[in-house]
Amino acid sequence: MGDREAILERLRGASRPAERLSPWLTRRTFENPVDRFCECLTNLKGDVRRAESAEAAWTIVDNLLDEMDAHSVVINQEPPVDGMDTVARWPERTCYVVGESEGDLKAFCADCDVGLTGVSAALVETGSLIVESGEGRSRLATLLPPVHIAMVRVSRLTTDLFTWTAGRGDHIPTNVTVISGPSKTADIEFTLTLGAHGPKRLIAVVYEDGEMDS
Amino acid sequence: MSASISQFRSQADSAINDLPLQEAIDTATGNFWRGREGALEELPDSEGLRDHFKAIRSATLAQLDEHLESFESNAKAAGTHVHWAEDAAEACRIVIDIGKTRGVTLATKGKSMASEEIHLGVALEEAGIESVETDLGEWIIQLAGDPPFHIIAPAIHKRRDEIVTLIENASGESLQSAEIEDLVAASRRLLRSRFLSAGMGITGGNILVSETGSLVLVENEGNGRFVSASPPVHIALVGLEKVVPTWDDAAVWLQLLARSSTGQPLSVYTNVVTGPRKVDDEDGPEEVHIILLDNGRSQLLGGKYEEILQCIRCGACLNICPVYREVGGHTYRSPYSGPIGAVITPLLMGLEEYPALPQASSLCGACRDVCPARIDLPRMLVELRNDEVEQGLVPWSVRRAEEAAAWMLMDVDRYRRLTGLMRTAQLPVLKDGDLRMPSFLDPSKGRKLKGLAPRPFREIWQSELEGGDG
Repeated sequence: MGDREAILERLRGASRPAERLSPWLTRRTFENPVDRFCECLTNLKGDVRRAESAEAAWTIVDNLLDEMDAHSVVINQEPPVDGMDTVARWPERTCYVVGESEGDLKAFCADCDVGLTGVSAALVETGSLIVESGEGRSRLATLLPPVHIAMVRVSRLTTDLFTWTAGRGDHIPTNVTVISGPSKTADIEFTLTLGAHGPKRLIAVVYEDGEMDS
Repeated sequence: MSASISQFRSQADSAINDLPLQEAIDTATGNFWRGREGALEELPDSEGLRDHFKAIRSATLAQLDEHLESFESNAKAAGTHVHWAEDAAEACRIVIDIGKTRGVTLATKGKSMASEEIHLGVALEEAGIESVETDLGEWIIQLAGDPPFHIIAPAIHKRRDEIVTLIENASGESLQSAEIEDLVAASRRLLRSRFLSAGMGITGGNILVSETGSLVLVENEGNGRFVSASPPVHIALVGLEKVVPTWDDAAVWLQLLARSSTGQPLSVYTNVVTGPRKVDDEDGPEEVHIILLDNGRSQLLGGKYEEILQCIRCGACLNICPVYREVGGHTYRSPYSGPIGAVITPLLMGLEEYPALPQASSLCGACRDVCPARIDLPRMLVELRNDEVEQGLVPWSVRRAEEAAAWMLMDVDRYRRLTGLMRTAQLPVLKDGDLRMPSFLDPSKGRKLKGLAPRPFREIWQSELEGGDG
């Protein structure tokens, strides 16, 4: 504790009154937030699929999994994914339902083909997805598989970082990650390459859910 | 390390004459600053946002003690261990102690300038803990044994063929005909097993949010998430100036960080860690440690250099700097290069060790114009030059020459008389208007130095321009 006291003493010696600042409020309104969100995520090399209904969205997921011949899928048990009996829907695939399935979650995430999750929010300004940790929600499921499919209900959209932090609750989950596109690097000769250590493909299935949220 | 004037000059010379290196620097810095311009233009009021951010940084530093104590208590409430490290040795000792207690033999590392600052890699190696850098650029320079070339893009100086050899040696795979995509894939395969078997993960930290005791980590590859989510222990090493009071403040920081840095609206991953995994969490580390690193920072508070603590390490000042863009990162002989490095390196590591750095600027002010926190870097470069004179760090010959120049410029008649004399004195070494000195006397080191014009401008003005038309 010697270092702590010595450092704090120096800091206290320099302490002085400071201006109290009011928060920066968003300066943005988007005429069509859904379009803007999809456009931005596409610009970030995300793969955006739009659907008119939850049913249509799930059909898109079926087709995506077929196309990429996905044998194994890790599934975060969170809204809206928890509303679907994915194990019954895809009997031909090995599904690991986080919080329910037995076995080593990390090992499964490291080997499987796809991570399927919901999002707790999405940012219109930047085309970002926000995922959180908690019961039924693995953080490795959105990181280790080569493909991440996120089910994005339009009611989850919020304008930008400022509306998001203004609307936060008192409780903060252990982990919150704002995802803006697939994993990438430009460390070799400044050439953009996708899929460094996280998913090479980030697919957002965006659909109307009839709910109105903030 | 140190950087004397002669070391800086000779390293600058070799960087300037290395054409492929010049091209690599131009590509990277040019793309970064064009990206920055576009990303800020896109915002409704980026100038106002930067003013607001400046105000946040100033106000937070004015009461840094309170914000850090409240950060500490909120982080502890979330289950995080908070450590305070006076200097580099203490910070390294804390990391090694945690590793030894947990019996760690392999640690994975996320990119962290603070860890470069304290030479953590060397300390871990000496303690028998293998540490593997996982950011692709950092990994490449670790394999090569190089220091970082740029605070955002550490390996821009490495050519593809050099990287191929490095990764081949590390992996045993043959990659001679590999495309860049294949090299990235090879590093993904190779590092994945290290990620999964590491006993602890070490990262830096971009922001500490006091109100929730949270650590914010920003990155593009996913390696930072991997390092902080997969091993049983996560240690974050963070300069103690990186705190903000609230999430509203953190949002302003994040809105400016990636835009100023790479020109992205946000980095691919903005990862917020608040304590170790809880009962309900499905994965994540069992232990989280945050080390608040002082290493000379607290002594800057309240003084003429406090403003440098507002820096968020975005690298915008490097990308715009006409000196950095020619001499490159290694010439500064510090993990922090460019204008920010020229100020912070002497302040943290000793002006007597780095006397060349405050001189490595034309004071053009471009760094101040692009800084998201509007840090007045040129002002501090001049302050440091004053300190050098006061501390007797300027060579005797330079001091005498500067005193002579000052004496000459102080009196207009004296100036005219002496320049008149010099016009005659220069004649033996004047050729086509340039001075051609014998090499042992040549102050220009091979560059062209203009001689004094045959007639002073003042005379031309009076006789031909003013008098003629007047």
